Amino acid sequence: MMPEREPFASPVSAPADVDLGRVWIGVAAEVWRRRPGALERLAGRLLRSPGLSRALVTTPSLLTGWILATAMVLSAGVLATRITGTPFVALGAPAIAAVGIAYAYDPGVDPAWELASTMPISDRMVLLVRALAVFGLNAALGLVASVASGVALAVTFGWLVPMTAVCALALAAATITRSANAGVAAGLAGWVITVLAAQATAGRMSTATTDPVLVVPYLAFAAGCVAAVLYVSRAPRGTS
Amino acid sequence: MNVEITEVTRRFGKTQAVAGVTMQTGAGVFGLLGPNGAGKTSLLRMMATVIPPTSGQIRLLGRDPSAYPQRRQIRRRLGYVPQQLGYYPRFTVVEFVEYFALLKEMPAGEVPRAVATAVERVGLGEQAKAQLRTLSGGMLRRVGIAQAIVNEPELLLLDEPTAGLDPEQRVTFRALLRELGQRATVIVSTHLVEDVGAACGEVALMDRGRIVFQGTPDELTARGEGTTAAGDAPLERGYSAVLAQARS
Repeated sequence: MMPEREPFASPVSAPADVDLGRVWIGVAAEVWRRRPGALERLAGRLLRSPGLSRALVTTPSLLTGWILATAMVLSAGVLATRITGTPFVALGAPAIAAVGIAYAYDPGVDPAWELASTMPISDRMVLLVRALAVFGLNAALGLVASVASGVALAVTFGWLVPMTAVCALALAAATITRSANAGVAAGLAGWVITVLAAQATAGRMSTATTDPVLVVPYLAFAAGCVAAVLYVSRAPRGTS
Repeated sequence: MNVEITEVTRRFGKTQAVAGVTMQTGAGVFGLLGPNGAGKTSLLRMMATVIPPTSGQIRLLGRDPSAYPQRRQIRRRLGYVPQQLGYYPRFTVVEFVEYFALLKEMPAGEVPRAVATAVERVGLGEQAKAQLRTLSGGMLRRVGIAQAIVNEPELLLLDEPTAGLDPEQRVTFRALLRELGQRATVIVSTHLVEDVGAACGEVALMDRGRIVFQGTPDELTARGEGTTAAGDAPLERGYSAVLAQARS
């Protein structure tokens, strides 16, 4: 640590009225400056917060490797759907999105969570922005895969509502337990049970994504989970 | 007074971590001493607005942290180094400090210069572009300090800041503390008595969730004079004497 830094042992002496320390800081600021990418700049404009946009682009489940893995799994689903006729994309997309949502933000995933929780930009805002971004990206990737798999229109769009419910469940579980893995487990378990229940009652797994009767229960369940997230992530009130 | 704490308690289940602490402090370096489990970290975390108190009142920088708008204002002017500071291993030093500068809602235009200043102040200029995973424990500690001071905080809270620093770094760090304490309230939680003697103008000694002594390091030293309290240095003997008296 150098509170009184004098690093300029230069053979050329500076004019007396030039503060070389200040000059160096100016140079260092320019040399070390990180140039935000196009996505971060766009997010900054949309969110009107450079801090929030930076938090968004550092989301674990929005990093390039994660997105590529998601795309590969969905591509495999497209192939499997085309070969077997079973709508694997529609059945897999909600589960994939739920995993991404659970890993969007939690103390177990974020090594500097305690520090981040003392920042003016609240945890809840970071959580919501990241969750929405992950959901949007997964929905877009899922739709592309679904269209590419060539299944009926009802199946193509039918999984969006159950995906909302499963993602909300994963988010709620991750937030309440403060564990991304718990969120993943809850989301996957919830979706598997739903699909198996559809198979048992209607004889087809795809009923879980196509039956219009299920839309309202799915949405009601999602709303309940989001309410739980908002309650759990509320700001401390001074007592607990 | 930048910190006003009144009858604050904090309970974790059946464990009473902080059991009715009252203290006030203004600008300067304030040392929070005590053995492991005394409640220092819990008290510091409440001051850092990480956790709320179970009961009692806290006012920081003249504001009430239990109200969100005021808590947000406090956080903009706060610097905090937790005991277990997590790192993003692939971030560079500059990226890490910049990330928290942005989360502290510093004006974006001021961030590069503030980051460069903070990185230089902790002596990490040569490692500015190094990834955190390549740094030693002492360097990582200094990265944590850099992010804490990047916004020129009015309230700086440091939990065991010298852990992992070598003796030379600790001496330099104490000088930095004294410099920061001229403008801000700096509260340092530590179990290293020599840090307090060298850097702090005032000290509180905690034991079992309570403050059992508050005064200057000289006053703490005086409490050990003429006693058989354990310790190699006068301040350590004062520390031991106060603890022994509190527990008797």
